[in-house]
Amino acid sequence: MSSAAPVAVRRDPQHGYLGGVCAGFAARVGIDPLLIRIGFIAAVALGGVAIPLYAIAWVLIPAEGPERPAFQRLLTRQDTWLVAAGMGCLTASGLLLLRAWDVWIVNDRFLWPAVIAATGGALIWRQSQTAPERVAQRGRLPRQTVNRATAGAALVVGGALIFLYVNDALAPARDVVLPVIVILLAVAIILAPWWIRLVRGLADERDARIRSQERAEVAAHLHDSVLQTLALVQKRADDPREVAALARRQERELRAWLNNTRPSGEETLGSALEAAAAEVEGDHHVPIEVVTVGDAPLDERGVAIVAAAREALVNASKFAGPEPISLYVEVTDERIEVFVRDRGPGFAVDDVPSDRRGVRDSIVGRMERHGGRATVHSTPGYGTEVELVIES
Amino acid sequence: MRRGRVDRTLVVAGLATIALGALLLLDRLGSIDLRFDYLAPAILAAIGIVLISAGLS
Repeated sequence: MSSAAPVAVRRDPQHGYLGGVCAGFAARVGIDPLLIRIGFIAAVALGGVAIPLYAIAWVLIPAEGPERPAFQRLLTRQDTWLVAAGMGCLTASGLLLLRAWDVWIVNDRFLWPAVIAATGGALIWRQSQTAPERVAQRGRLPRQTVNRATAGAALVVGGALIFLYVNDALAPARDVVLPVIVILLAVAIILAPWWIRLVRGLADERDARIRSQERAEVAAHLHDSVLQTLALVQKRADDPREVAALARRQERELRAWLNNTRPSGEETLGSALEAAAAEVEGDHHVPIEVVTVGDAPLDERGVAIVAAAREALVNASKFAGPEPISLYVEVTDERIEVFVRDRGPGFAVDDVPSDRRGVRDSIVGRMERHGGRATVHSTPGYGTEVELVIES
Repeated sequence: MRRGRVDRTLVVAGLATIALGALLLLDRLGSIDLRFDYLAPAILAAIGIVLISAGLS
């Protein structure tokens, strides 16, 4: 029987504002740091006991990774919260000045609610500036944006409520609202453990999914590179010079992959596909005709489509005989399309054994993992076409 | 030749500090009467401007 060792709490200054205590606890529990921070601010407002507790935690809990001074960290964060805090300071400054000049409306009952509301307004305003292309790319607002906009709205509403409260405008509603709040708090305390467990369960599931995808990526890469080269080495065992050349090239490729570097001259999708075609042509001695229409910088998804196309070319070279293979690439603003066609004997796609990883993992699985799709059109006797598509 | 990048936050922080220093100097020289009622908003304004500059840079 095995049991997982408990994970110690560590402060996270990289993602924190002061000492990273809230961020550290949030990472340990597996929830958004904003929730811990709201709890902290509420505890400060309810008597200030949270401040010495925070200081003690800052001193006693070790930091995760290197730690820079808090002031330096604070001023080098490009953060919405800084803008909101700055707007709060400016508002407070202006109102204090007006109060010093005895402007009639500005007194303590107005000043602090206005500062809180201005801070919240700045938060909402900054979130409304979220780049439209980011929203369009994700199909919805980023989670951080939603959290911050919610916090901003809460601050504005809170400021308004405080203003009404200190001016005794809430007295009639107080008798109704207080019992409701107490009941809601009680329900929240009862449900909190289940909620935290649910959130942590979702986080664990996401981690497992990411690990599984990474494992599939590594397996697909090893299949396309090392296993293919070993097969070639067996095939060319009678030619020591070619075997040595294959081994050297594979070593270079594997080192580049491990170091996450890219060969020079492969900065665009078109050049990377042409390089892959030339490599397969050299290895398998089958002519490949490359036609490219349009081009695009080689990003992560481009690397995936190149790897899938290369695997399709290798399959065609192995099974299609001496006839030339066609590689057609079309890049538009909306999508990238790659077609690999051969005039070989073809095969029945449904009859491919489940233990063959080439088509299933290296082509179809790889494209799906990167948000694209791969379709294999093949009829016995009439050749094969592999269609790879990634929408921009 | 590489050109050094200007850190806008540091420039704004420096200007804010100079402005505060100038106010304190004028107060010391007797040109203005800088009471707490005016000093506190000035400090808050300086902090606010630096924070906004840091957040927007």
